[in-house]
Amino acid sequence: MVRLITHNLLACHAKGCTSNNFPLAFSNVQIEIREAEFNPEFLKNFIPKVEWNALVDTARQLGDTSLPLEQPEMLDEEFLKSLHHVLLEIHVEEGVMTCPNCKHEYPISNGIPNMLLAEHEIG
Amino acid sequence: MPPAVKKTSVSEDPQVYENLHVHEVYEKIAVHFSATRYKPWPIIAQFLSGLPEGWIGLDSGTGNGKYLPLPENNSVLVGLDRSFNLLKIARHAGSNNAVREVVRGDVLDSPWRPGIFDYAISIATIHHLATTQRRKLAVQRLLQAVSDSHGRILIYVWAIEQDELSKREIPVEDSTVSEKTTMGQDVFVPWNLNRQSTRSDNETQIFNRYYHMFAKGELIALVVEAARELGLHIGPRGRDQEIKQGVDIVQDGWERSNYYIELRRWKA
Repeated sequence: MVRLITHNLLACHAKGCTSNNFPLAFSNVQIEIREAEFNPEFLKNFIPKVEWNALVDTARQLGDTSLPLEQPEMLDEEFLKSLHHVLLEIHVEEGVMTCPNCKHEYPISNGIPNMLLAEHEIG
Repeated sequence: MPPAVKKTSVSEDPQVYENLHVHEVYEKIAVHFSATRYKPWPIIAQFLSGLPEGWIGLDSGTGNGKYLPLPENNSVLVGLDRSFNLLKIARHAGSNNAVREVVRGDVLDSPWRPGIFDYAISIATIHHLATTQRRKLAVQRLLQAVSDSHGRILIYVWAIEQDELSKREIPVEDSTVSEKTTMGQDVFVPWNLNRQSTRSDNETQIFNRYYHMFAKGELIALVVEAARELGLHIGPRGRDQEIKQGVDIVQDGWERSNYYIELRRWKA
């Protein structure tokens, strides 16, 4: 399953691609929204690990504009609910993720992103 | 009485060998295999239930994803595996309609932001890699995937020393030799897949999976070498100000036919 929580961890690992290799850009996506249990404590603990700009940009690519461009200092309920939805409820079922640097394409099929490289692409 | 485990030796390109004797086999036996793999081992369950809230983990070689639902305290565990058929099962591991986070990839690759995980587990996976170099690289990938200041790691591999309850018979020629050596044993472990044939009787197809069975002391030696090559000090954080980062061996041992080791990274 590619939710944005996982997408925010992924980076391109093709041969020689070591900078500007994150975040992978979505295209041709099929999305499903599935409700998940809201857990504010989990979100608060996860926030320090998030690459904020990547998350906001990616959410906007997928049509969700609920997150502020700057990460807020006050973590109120409204903000946490938006973050919860973006990280945990948007499921990318089909599509492609493209590296911003080397343009390598990683396909997503049945909700499973394929990060395998061909032999000659391995760094 | 299951067919006996056979000795083998890796004679080809290790990647080609693993494709044939590990990856292709798992693609074919995925559904049947998964039906026999549902019971989590105690030390792993304990490790996963004791993690802090909000932690993100990597399950490297997740297989059918049986550990993915386990972390309590709302820690999230992301499953990585090469087998698409196993991942399709892993996606729905556990109860309800929950969907798990799974990624198709190789345990020798690193498709992540470096050090982004708080913890990593690798259960019954590294023993499928066909050379010492590749097994060491898999350990290094785990060390690199977790946080350099608090990352925790748990590794399990199959042992030559088998449980009395184990159904397997392991071909060891000379037990006195095997006790002294730190070299493991390369074997094929058969998997019997029963197929309903076109006639009414069942056909059994046998798939041999490659395993490197670890000798006593081999896992810890592998981990120590892997960590040293990455410039990590082995042992707990001490008073020596010169040592900037390291990895502590929290516990290691043998449980139910497997060797395990738990690690914790630290940074001064």
